[in-house]
Amino acid sequence: MAETNLIETQNLTKQYGKVRCVNTLHMKVPEGAVYGFLGPNGAGKSTTLKMILGLAKPTEGSITLFGTKMNKKNRMKLLADTGSLIESPSYYGHLTGEENLHILQTLKGCSAKEIDEVLKIVRLYDARQRKVAHYSLGMKQRLGLAAALLGFPRLLILDEPTNGLDPAGIQEMRELICSLPSSYGITVVVSSHLLSEIDQMADHVGIIRKGELVYQNTLASLHSHAKQQIALRTDNPATTLLLLRQDGIEAEKESDYFLIPIMDDDYIACLCRRLIEHGISLYRVEKREKSLEDIFLSLTGKESSL
Amino acid sequence: MKTLQLEFYKIKRRKVFLTMFAMLSVQFLWGLWELRNPKDWELESGWRALLYSLSLLDGIMMPSVMSVLASRLADIEHKGNTYKQLETLRSAGSLYHAKAICGCIIIALMFAAQFAFFILLGYQLGYVGHPDIKYYLLSYALKLASNISLFFLQLALSMFFANQMIPLVAGLGGSMVALLLMFVTTYSFLPWGGSLSASLVMSEWNLDTRISTYYYRTFSPPELAAVICIFIWLIVFYVTGRILFTRREV
Repeated sequence: MAETNLIETQNLTKQYGKVRCVNTLHMKVPEGAVYGFLGPNGAGKSTTLKMILGLAKPTEGSITLFGTKMNKKNRMKLLADTGSLIESPSYYGHLTGEENLHILQTLKGCSAKEIDEVLKIVRLYDARQRKVAHYSLGMKQRLGLAAALLGFPRLLILDEPTNGLDPAGIQEMRELICSLPSSYGITVVVSSHLLSEIDQMADHVGIIRKGELVYQNTLASLHSHAKQQIALRTDNPATTLLLLRQDGIEAEKESDYFLIPIMDDDYIACLCRRLIEHGISLYRVEKREKSLEDIFLSLTGKESSL
Repeated sequence: MKTLQLEFYKIKRRKVFLTMFAMLSVQFLWGLWELRNPKDWELESGWRALLYSLSLLDGIMMPSVMSVLASRLADIEHKGNTYKQLETLRSAGSLYHAKAICGCIIIALMFAAQFAFFILLGYQLGYVGHPDIKYYLLSYALKLASNISLFFLQLALSMFFANQMIPLVAGLGGSMVALLLMFVTTYSFLPWGGSLSASLVMSEWNLDTRISTYYYRTFSPPELAAVICIFIWLIVFYVTGRILFTRREV
């Protein structure tokens, strides 16, 4: 069966003055996925998500939500099945957590029972009677997630949801986000500038750089881009290099190591025997892998922050 | 309707009604002080004098009061950064409309309280006869129109600017303009001159007797145009504010 995309953007572009914040973006978010939208600060993540939610008007291009092209007329109808948390949580500080959710529950038209349910999910049930102005930043962030979860929408759009959370809160938020597709059938789009965060949460990833989508696929596919090499360290680099060349192996020098392409175990064993037979002491034989960070940096540019 | 109900729910604990009452209480205190111990001729024309005085007081105070009301209603959204959430659930236009209607209801209640207080005070002081219902109702309607037009102007500013100092300064400036207008004219096409134009009673000061005579106004064509202008401002401010609000990006 063909994969259904809950979000599809076609040539999505946003220009402020002469600056193109988002440039011809073709984003595809499959149903049931946790889609990590990754990019350095200022890459255009929030602008893209705002355009998907109709909060910013695209300069060019179109957005298809739940298989229907979004326009001014059907926007509210399509967004009825979405929840969102953009940049920072929205709240009325003079009202309690429960009252804040009551407003959104009324606007969403869902059952009042869901208020308690989502408060329990984000562990704010005990603080529901407190004014939100007295909440910590982490609690406000969790209230924002609770608000997004109200009505248990098909699609949840979370922009940097772990901002302001402590390490335990971050871990908790990650676990919650990961569980949403299986527990509630919710497709999640989560943006972050932290690769490690997306790596732990998402199964699909889109990497944006200077407004352009430079990579989009499954996270597993991104991992497969990782380049594997064998690193050798011996007591006699000159003879080692000569022997490697005699065997037709391309080697590059990196400090005390020679980096050679990945090869099967038998061949490595044979190579090691040959080096020892020539009186070379073998100190290290290691498998090296190009990390996700390296891939990310190569896609987004070294100057970008992680 | 739901959105409108929620507007009142949102201002829970914001003491909006109390703020309005506190501002009105300045007028109440003025009434208790200024109208005490009326002379016979003052009792005779008391009901007309009351309409005249209230239009002057409103003219000076209401631009500022409207700016405070609009700011109280809009500020909660700016502080909590709520538009980006609300606008995924309701159109920006309907949110603006609900806010505007909420403000209009508060204004209507505020002026009802004002009239109720001063009518009771008039009876207490022993004003001759009864208030002329026709003129009092017309005055109430015109008072609403002129102040709602100012409220719409202030709401547009308060909804558009996150920094509430801008609309509040505009409101204070409006009060100053209204005060200046009172020295030079009996009607004005400016939005802050609405109370002046809508005043149904005029006064004539007799230097020799040192007695003011109050009479119901007969509107000349330019004065009538100034009254019509109040309604034009009302529509212009509402439509402009709504367009500005719906076109901006969150």
